[in-house]
Amino acid sequence: MPKDQVTFQGLIHTLLGFWKDYGCVIQQPYDLEVGAGTMHPETFLRVLGPQPYRVAYVQPSRRPADGRYGENPNRLYKHHQLQVILKPSPDDVQEVYLASLRALGIDLSHHDLRFEEDNWESPTLGAWGIGWQVLLDGLEITQFTYFQQAGGQDLMPISAEITYGLERIATFVEDKDSVFALCWSPNASYAQVRQREEREFSKYSFEVADKDMLFDLFNRYEKECLRCLDADCALPAYDYCLRCSHTFNLLDSRGAISVTERVGIIARVRNLAVRVAAAFVNSHEE
Amino acid sequence: MKNKFLFELGLEEVPADMIEPAAAQLRKSVESLFEENQLAVEALETYSAPRRLAFLATGLPDRQPSREEVLLGPPVSVAFRDGAPAPAAHGFAKKMQVAVEQLQVVKTEKGDYVAVKRTLEGRETPDILATELPGIIASISWPKNMYWQESRFRFVRPIRWLVALWNKQTVPVRFEGLASGAVTRGHRFLGRSDVLLKSAGEYLERLRENYVLADVEERQTKISRELERETPKGLKVISDPELLHLVCYLNEYPTVLRGSFNSEFLAIPQEVLITVMRHHQKYFSVADEKDALQPHFLTVLNTSGDPEGKIRKGHEKVLRARLEDAAFFWSTDLKTPLGGRLPQLDHVLFQEKLGSYRVKTERIRRLSALLDHGKDLETAASLSKCDLTSDMVREFSELQGVMGGLYAREEKYPESVWRAVYEQYRPTSLEDASPSTLTGALLALTDKLDSVVGCFAAGIVPTGSSDPFALRRQAQGLVKILFDHRLDQYPLPSLIEAARSVLKDQIPVSDQVVADVLAFLTGRVRFIFQEQGVPFDILNAVLAPGVGAVYQTWLKAQALMKMRGDADFEALAVAFKRVKNILAKQEIVLAAVSEAALEDPAEAELYRSFREIQPGLSAAAQAGDYESALRKIATLRGPVDRLFDAVMVMAEDARLRNNRLRLLFEISDMFLKIADISEIQEKPAE
Repeated sequence: MPKDQVTFQGLIHTLLGFWKDYGCVIQQPYDLEVGAGTMHPETFLRVLGPQPYRVAYVQPSRRPADGRYGENPNRLYKHHQLQVILKPSPDDVQEVYLASLRALGIDLSHHDLRFEEDNWESPTLGAWGIGWQVLLDGLEITQFTYFQQAGGQDLMPISAEITYGLERIATFVEDKDSVFALCWSPNASYAQVRQREEREFSKYSFEVADKDMLFDLFNRYEKECLRCLDADCALPAYDYCLRCSHTFNLLDSRGAISVTERVGIIARVRNLAVRVAAAFVNSHEE
Repeated sequence: MKNKFLFELGLEEVPADMIEPAAAQLRKSVESLFEENQLAVEALETYSAPRRLAFLATGLPDRQPSREEVLLGPPVSVAFRDGAPAPAAHGFAKKMQVAVEQLQVVKTEKGDYVAVKRTLEGRETPDILATELPGIIASISWPKNMYWQESRFRFVRPIRWLVALWNKQTVPVRFEGLASGAVTRGHRFLGRSDVLLKSAGEYLERLRENYVLADVEERQTKISRELERETPKGLKVISDPELLHLVCYLNEYPTVLRGSFNSEFLAIPQEVLITVMRHHQKYFSVADEKDALQPHFLTVLNTSGDPEGKIRKGHEKVLRARLEDAAFFWSTDLKTPLGGRLPQLDHVLFQEKLGSYRVKTERIRRLSALLDHGKDLETAASLSKCDLTSDMVREFSELQGVMGGLYAREEKYPESVWRAVYEQYRPTSLEDASPSTLTGALLALTDKLDSVVGCFAAGIVPTGSSDPFALRRQAQGLVKILFDHRLDQYPLPSLIEAARSVLKDQIPVSDQVVADVLAFLTGRVRFIFQEQGVPFDILNAVLAPGVGAVYQTWLKAQALMKMRGDADFEALAVAFKRVKNILAKQEIVLAAVSEAALEDPAEAELYRSFREIQPGLSAAAQAGDYESALRKIATLRGPVDRLFDAVMVMAEDARLRNNRLRLLFEISDMFLKIADISEIQEKPAE
């Protein structure tokens, strides 16, 4: 086993290599703040419409409410997902996924691996799918989803989405009790690379963020999204939809949104996502 | 050798709770397929596991029995003229492709007809199976379906293989792009991915060799045995039948493994620990003889063992992270006093028209004040919903109520208060116990009462398929509490009125809604009593006068059940039906019975007997001694019979007639305070 396979970067390298060999386009992370790999246009927009596509990429995912100031061994403001989209989903998709775990040096016959029902749903994206969480010795390492709907649109062909929780898999492979104890590279720990970022962004999300400014930004982003849609610019419109979504997450972690307001704001983001999806599909058909 | 037919549907992992119902559906469809096709089967076994649904049929015939078919033609009178075949006969024979001479005469209800009789050869059994199985697969219904390929066929999870074997032969079944074969698949990691079956009968055995126990009973036996084996000496597994059922369907080759956690976590209340282990990890908890939780857990793996201890280490690590989260929630939640969370409930919506949980809390508090049970109940009511904003309940919603109770206990509220909060959601089913204390029972009662009356007023009425607020369960819980705690001081109509008066600030409760709620609750009383074995006619008898106090209604039913079989009583029931029929048709002018107008000795005797039993009857009914009351009623059998023998109630003389009607009315009115005994059937109804 090559030495760098037991590092965080080695793990990413191995998985991307596996999916590159499988025939995926290897994409880069989206350059906006997002909460999950699903929000990357390479997933959200590519699963729409009829064109086949295979893609894999890492997506740093920011979840302000999960921040713990870099003090909790398992919870992070920002974690990393490795996202794979196979459209249409091949018949042996589960077997291919299991082969990717073997490529990481995990001997599955010596472990307890299970596919347990877990149907993914994103109210803000108007998206849902059917699938499982994959548990390895009781640890959830992957979300596996057959996409059924995105942006309120019924999907056909059906894409398989495989989302690896990289920190989770790394703590398993490296046998560490805390993500901060992981080796990012042979010479640098996860803590060295990321702990300060966790501390400062947790502080910002819970204590510092300016609520009024965020509400203001939310309204402006929403307006700009709608303006882009009017100008037939579906992709820029989607960027503003993502900005709304992240701004909402920040407001939420800041405790600025009551339960009743929450429903309304989610509906506003969802409305944008639905309109972007429709615009994207229509412009394809032309 | 008997014929054996095996069918297996290979799937990607099906959600554990959906497997058993699907296997039952499969069994039913296959049974009716055999029946419709006159295929007698000796044994039918169904097998199911996360990746497969299967059945094995033993002793099917090679083919259907042959049968005679009669095809009717025209009437003989038309088909034959003077004994010779007419054009109609020729036409029919031609259509049936037989010679005219082969036509036969058949007698029918409408007369004699010309007919053709044919013997139909039965189809071969494998042929029928090949044709019918696709329809059977497609007819299995699931709570949630998905698409996975362009055919737009929807099923619970993708179908990946089919096995159909008639003894040693493959039966060609085609379905959704798949063709059946003789190859099944073993355990994902321990078995072969292609297991060739040489014959249908070796299914279980070949799979077992490949680490799949396809028979759920075999899995359950293995799990139960190993749970016992892995429990440390002197300790016991905390029984959890629901979890046991789930893990049976979560694994193809279950193996029980024991792990441990740091005993420092035992400082967290054990309700929380058990929920954490069960909710996310599906672990069984372990306790000592005194029911104190111990720092061990038992998990069911989908593999054959853990010789290197790696798996155990992994599970222990995951649990540690979960328990650390729980410890964090517990300590942060305790930083805010429970009562201090009340204002936050403004932001938690109960129902749009019925307001937030803050508003609901206030209604529960006011309702409990109306029940007049003292300060503790009102305190418990104010605290009851506060745990909804705690981190722990947000993470584990099934701990609502329990957490509020535990936090209240930590804050040193009196036991009657914290226990009432803790048990406020009980009973969740007919089997579940009602709250153990009176304060707890009243809190649970007011909460459920407010929900049921409020939702009905808001137009949320349970239907066959939809009951989002679980009103049926709540109403049942409400009735069960009244019954278990014998709360006869709170009759249903006055409870509903109380809820109405408290709800009126949010929503008006119309008379119609009040009537609907009463009917709904009466329906629950009927259901609960029925489940307790009260026969149908007795239910009708005790519910007809309207349910007031629930437990009194129960006592009446019990008394009626004892009286049934008493000859006098049953005869009286028949007579009473007659009384009711007579009275139903008459306008009764209410006035006292005139003794002077009782001219026949029979009516005078009835009047005297009635007057004699009246005080004792009232006293017995007041005391809830319905059996003596009914026995007193039964003594009227003779006088009533003699009255009907001797006099015409509907006499021509209005004075006599009205007096008799009044006598019957008084008697009937007295009886109806207990039950409508005219509903009682002579023989026990099923």
